[in-house]
Amino acid sequence: MKHIFKKFKIIIIATVLYLLAFILKKDIFNSAIGITGGFLLEMVQILPPVMILSALITVWVPSETIRKSLGHKAGFKGRILSFFIGSLSAGPIYAAFPTTLVLFKKGASVSNMVIILSTWAVIKVPMLFVETNFLGLSFTITRVALTVPAILIMGIIVGKLIKSDEIIEHLKKPQSHKDILFTLPNTNCGACGFSDCNMFAKAVFYGDKKIMDCIVLNDKQLKGANV
Amino acid sequence: MTVIIMIIVTLVLLTFSIIKSRKKSIKSVQIAKKMLLNTFVEVTGVMAIVGLILALIPTDIIKSLLGGESKSVSTILGAAIGTITIMPAFIAFPLAQSLYVSGAHLVAIAAFLTTLTMVGLATFPIEARHFGKKFAIVRNGVSFLMALVIALGMGVIL
Repeated sequence: MKHIFKKFKIIIIATVLYLLAFILKKDIFNSAIGITGGFLLEMVQILPPVMILSALITVWVPSETIRKSLGHKAGFKGRILSFFIGSLSAGPIYAAFPTTLVLFKKGASVSNMVIILSTWAVIKVPMLFVETNFLGLSFTITRVALTVPAILIMGIIVGKLIKSDEIIEHLKKPQSHKDILFTLPNTNCGACGFSDCNMFAKAVFYGDKKIMDCIVLNDKQLKGANV
Repeated sequence: MTVIIMIIVTLVLLTFSIIKSRKKSIKSVQIAKKMLLNTFVEVTGVMAIVGLILALIPTDIIKSLLGGESKSVSTILGAAIGTITIMPAFIAFPLAQSLYVSGAHLVAIAAFLTTLTMVGLATFPIEARHFGKKFAIVRNGVSFLMALVIALGMGVIL
């Protein structure tokens, strides 16, 4: 129950706020629904193709290729390629997170990842036409001309401040209780007080218990220490 | 338009993938499904709250903040507002135009547009889950400063 609440926390809060708005200020509720509807429409169109493309990269493109073209030793060509990938993509920055993470796992460097993320966010080629329509050509050209070098500098700075290992370390942390379940003995002995190992793994994942509270694991380690 | 191209490219590549290896294609679709569900659950709630906030704050307030007496204060405010909110382009550009017409500073608008898309407080938790807190803090911090530099540069050139 608790973990379900944690996963859907923001959605639950949003629902409550919308209910309040519906009761108190119907016009605000209506315009908020309109804006959120626009967001959702954007998501529904963009996320499925972006995710499938990322998954295809995961399955088909060998790490070696990514490491060569986007890794630490890719040099100037790697930077250009990163700008290229970012500017041709579609969708808001949150659609870029899973995709760039896939590239990182396959060996892309931190700086190139930042370049892809930032370009994805601010210089999308099709968006430039919209920008020109609304704000004029000289505004758009000046902004892009300044943003490209700024992104390059950002990539280099973040690459200096954050080492690949730090992100790898973060990725090693359990993403779900199943990762914890994997290391448990899975005997479902119930000695920890939970009905089975699955329930105990959930408790560990949400921080209510420590993995060493598993009696079997603990016992093994104690014995191991004595020998 | 890009969305259509993207969908077509995806379909073509997926077809290729299916022809070459069914097994790998099924695996791809499973991975995509998992990523999609995770992102959807995370993003929907955030977007709903941002939508509500945007509906609550009248654009007049943003206009007065970005068109204030002092250009530098307006620029920093522009960058700050862009940082807190996230807007789809179909709202952001018309808003930027109406801001400009109603007298907001160009530099402030440039700062606003850049942080709007590149720096995200609303998407921070999502970014932190993917890459870790430290990366998210450093990237957003550096991007915020760079957005100010870009805006200042535009003030000098335009």
